[in-house]
Amino acid sequence: MAHAETAGPITAPPAEDERLSARILRFLGRAPVHIFLVVIGLLWLVPTLGLFLTSLLSPGDFGDQGWWQLFSEPSKVTFENYEAVFDNDTLISALFTTLIVAVGGTILPIIVAAMAGYAFAWLDFPGRDWLFILVIALLVVPLQMALIPIFSLYNKLGIFDTTLSLILFHTAFGLPFAIFLLRNFFIGIPRDLMEAARIDGASEIRIFLRLILPLGLPAIASLGIFQFLWTWNDLLVALTFCRETQPITVAIFSQLRQFGANIELIAPATFVSLIIPLGVFFAFQRYFVEGLLAGSVK
Amino acid sequence: MTRRIRGRAAALTLIGALALIAAGCGGDDGGSSGDGGDVSGTLAVTAIWSGAEQEAFQAVIDGFTEANSGVTVNYTSGGDQLPTQLSTAVEGGNPPDIAFLGQPGLVRDFVEKDALQPLDFAREDVETNLGDSAVQLGSVDDTLYGFLFKAANKSLVWYNVAAFEDAGVEPPGTWDDFLAAADTIGASGIPAFSIGGADGWTLTDLFENIYLRTAGPEKYDQLAAHEIPWTDQSVKDALTEMAKVVGNGDNIAGGTTGALQTDFPTSVSNVFSESPKAAQVIEGDFVPGAVESGLEPETDYNVFDFPAINDSAPSVVGGGDTVVMFKDSPAAQAFIRYLTTVEAAEIWAERGGFGSLNQDLDTGTYPDAIQQTAAGALSEAEVFRFDLSDLQPAAFGGTVGQGLFKLFQDFVQNPDDVDGITQQMEDAAAKAFG
Amino acid sequence: MSVTGSVAGDPPVTPTPEAVESGGWRRHALAAGFLAPAAIFLGVWIVYPTLTTIWRSFFDESGDEFVGLQNYQTLFTSDVILTAIKNNAIWVLVVPALVTSVGLVFAVLTERIPWSVAFKTAVFMPMAISAFAAGITWRIVYLQEPDRGALNAGIAVVKDSFSSGGVLADARPSSDALEGTSQGTIRLAEPVGRGDIALLGLTAIGSSEVPDDAEQAVRPEALQGGIRGVVWRDFKPGGGTAGEVEPDELGLPGVTVKLRTSGGGAVGSTMTATDGTFSFDEVESGEYSVAIGSESFSQSFGGVTWLGEKLVTPAILISYLWIWAGFAMVVIAAGLAAIPRDVLEAARTDGGTEWQVFRRVTVPLLAPVLTVVFITMLINVLKVFDIVIAIAPGSVQDDATVLALQMWRTAFGGSNDFGVGSAIAVFIFLLVVPILALNIRRFRREL
Repeated sequence: MAHAETAGPITAPPAEDERLSARILRFLGRAPVHIFLVVIGLLWLVPTLGLFLTSLLSPGDFGDQGWWQLFSEPSKVTFENYEAVFDNDTLISALFTTLIVAVGGTILPIIVAAMAGYAFAWLDFPGRDWLFILVIALLVVPLQMALIPIFSLYNKLGIFDTTLSLILFHTAFGLPFAIFLLRNFFIGIPRDLMEAARIDGASEIRIFLRLILPLGLPAIASLGIFQFLWTWNDLLVALTFCRETQPITVAIFSQLRQFGANIELIAPATFVSLIIPLGVFFAFQRYFVEGLLAGSVK
Repeated sequence: MTRRIRGRAAALTLIGALALIAAGCGGDDGGSSGDGGDVSGTLAVTAIWSGAEQEAFQAVIDGFTEANSGVTVNYTSGGDQLPTQLSTAVEGGNPPDIAFLGQPGLVRDFVEKDALQPLDFAREDVETNLGDSAVQLGSVDDTLYGFLFKAANKSLVWYNVAAFEDAGVEPPGTWDDFLAAADTIGASGIPAFSIGGADGWTLTDLFENIYLRTAGPEKYDQLAAHEIPWTDQSVKDALTEMAKVVGNGDNIAGGTTGALQTDFPTSVSNVFSESPKAAQVIEGDFVPGAVESGLEPETDYNVFDFPAINDSAPSVVGGGDTVVMFKDSPAAQAFIRYLTTVEAAEIWAERGGFGSLNQDLDTGTYPDAIQQTAAGALSEAEVFRFDLSDLQPAAFGGTVGQGLFKLFQDFVQNPDDVDGITQQMEDAAAKAFG
Repeated sequence: MSVTGSVAGDPPVTPTPEAVESGGWRRHALAAGFLAPAAIFLGVWIVYPTLTTIWRSFFDESGDEFVGLQNYQTLFTSDVILTAIKNNAIWVLVVPALVTSVGLVFAVLTERIPWSVAFKTAVFMPMAISAFAAGITWRIVYLQEPDRGALNAGIAVVKDSFSSGGVLADARPSSDALEGTSQGTIRLAEPVGRGDIALLGLTAIGSSEVPDDAEQAVRPEALQGGIRGVVWRDFKPGGGTAGEVEPDELGLPGVTVKLRTSGGGAVGSTMTATDGTFSFDEVESGEYSVAIGSESFSQSFGGVTWLGEKLVTPAILISYLWIWAGFAMVVIAAGLAAIPRDVLEAARTDGGTEWQVFRRVTVPLLAPVLTVVFITMLINVLKVFDIVIAIAPGSVQDDATVLALQMWRTAFGGSNDFGVGSAIAVFIFLLVVPILALNIRRFRREL
């Protein structure tokens, strides 16, 4: 409507001109958008870039000026910090701990959730819908609710401060989402495929292994990436259940808090800790996004 | 946690210096422990030391085994895991013969578990060689269970030589001179102090140094055990003195708010820099290890003892590794007694990265002037006390953002309200001590 | 969206006749077998602890004594926990709305941009980084010194380009003869008259900050009918005597000196010479004040204290937006792509402007997606922990704290009070219960 009003005073301009002016207007209208997006996109990269470049500065140089000095004096780049990180037994063993926890905390919930997801999708049993609603309810239970009782439980069982204790905890809290995601994917598998298999006399276990799992691979991949990133990036759980068996986040955290908090150790260690999830993310970006969409649109 | 990492850093301090010293020069006048070679057996010894520290300690061991050829000493490094390893070993009934503990509280813990053997046989040696403080520190309920073999000194002030020369001031020996020098430095155009206030323990360390000097060791012990309240006048007096350092924002790098944003390493690099942001930083002998600055010791940076207040006796707040004995044997007794001797201390002292309370140790033994000041103060100290905050329950004395750490940060923010802050300290202490 | 499409997908197949004949118990046993591992995990690690935590929240610190609602009373009386509740309220009010709208803006703007993938990747990338690592990353951004912290460095650049830049960085009066600070003006405390000499001694000027052409300061001869004076660095190694021009003390050239009447009216202004001296040659009798103008000082920018008690929460919010904007953008973009083109085209051909189409057509169609993003962020925000503990320095953790962090600090970070810790956990749980109820209602409709 506003369009018509502003056009009002001008008496019927030729149609071609209008299209041309509209095109120019649109171009002019678009240019700020491009500029805006370029600026925002760059701004979004600055913090990570800053971390990376800081990790390449000797502590003495960083004492003088921030990471941007490398643009004028690229010769100040040093890899000594990284050498120190890879010489640091505590950090290296922390990386291994993280790797074990992340891999274990990814595979175990996938297996458990795939079984449950299959049951919820294709097996008939009483109370199925109610049980599934319970799973959905558990989806939002904050893990703070579990920290104290599990802390006591782990102490009683004697598995406090082990990678196993972390894997089990991550498995449990990954399950509601995992079951939800896989059940919804499995249920979309064409019914005739299932029926054909059942008529062929295949057992449910066989169907699960030979049909569901292969067909569910895209969803399992999404889930795997999620779970991997989640466990890799965890701080809270590890901080609560570990003293000596520290994953990398906790190891860096104790460096940050205590004496010895050196930027020349923290910056490269942090960068090392995030380069692996970042690699996973870039390699499997598509699955990551799909998992995200499936998970969030609930 | 705090202590462990601090201990590690103390170790780092002088690794550079150690690397320069050829490994093979030790053991030349090793074991004159007096017992002769009549003991025999095998000793298992453990401590956190690894790397260069392990080499140095091995030389100390060699000094013993040369004189006691019948004894074999097997050293294993427990690293950071030492406390856990020892607890497990004690539970399992197979502890090492001798261990070195970094945490003062651990000695008491093990005594309460009946895991430690008393060192009555060495009491006299400890008393004469290491002094009364050492006996007191190593005793639980008047029984000697250990002594500080390797000590760390937290009563030091590190300064930028150029900044001091610029201001025309000399390292001061008394608190009044120290404060006057700080004013002069401020007038010269550079803040006198760099304070790592974001890490609360730097502030408790400063307080402990002042308190030990203004209130004296008896009150210090009483406060550590919470036998006197934090609202005691002695605490208020010490805080009033402390305010003379932390209360003048103009003379602190970054001002008061900046100090609370500065972590410990940054507080060091503020001073240890070609273009320093402050002239001096008050902290322990691990300071040079906290940053790599490229500055030269003595010519670019130097150190002096925390100044005396009202003619206080030479005093040191610190920590270190306490030797304890889990299993009694003639060989273990001989080794323990050997560790009290100046010969044992000398072997490590000349390698650097070491401090000893041994009063017979010639400070010239330490490899450079910086270490001579830092470690020399330990043997010259008439009063040595453990870091007070390390002796408190963790929630009160050792937790980031809580208890003393947080309250001293509040104090820096509002140094005038001594009464209010001491009341809060007392409330928190009362809660922590139950 | 392919996965999502199947949420309300086909109902499961009805069992084949053969299966029914083979007996219900076998099928039930099979289902139980498939469900058992999940049931154990969910039961032991989520359901049992949830009930235990609720139970535990009614007992004291040691767990021996039943204290009723006392722990909950602590929630609303402890200053720190109240701060946590207040901060969490800020998070809840600001973050979901902010993240959703930023995500919407990004999604819409990138919709028809050919290189949108690059943009989306840049914005989405922080999602892969741990909140903890992101926290460290932003700590470096927020460092206070403009020499090190990128944000303050940026502000310093902007500030410098606007300020003229005086000859001196910072200075303080050397004695009580002067008053004021270099933020405003520094002036003589006592008024002067004709024939007087004004001694303006300054300290806290680094030797490197003295202008290069400075010479030994000179105390000028008095001038009949005029006012003379000197501005100098009242410091020599060792300190010297305050207020006295001594050997080795340098004059400060290029400093603007202002003469005012005692009423404040400007009389004159002059510049100091290389030896720091200045002179107002002809002055009427009366009382004057002599001052150094603020234009002589180029205040060094000390940096904004982003991580001080006042700004720490906004600072953390921004870094949180940095992490989650990508998530919102991607989900909303997917929703946007699912809107049928012809609906939008129809609206446009009806004569709607882009803005009208966006507001009247696009946003309503996106409403379900926006709701999902909003609710997801709401849940996240109630549980936020890592980034706060990573960014907030120890000295301001009490000011930046949020419920999840306070729960951890209470239960594990030193004070080990499981009673109050449980109460905080239950409180967080109660806050998510409405969301939980919402979720369940939606699913019951779909099932």
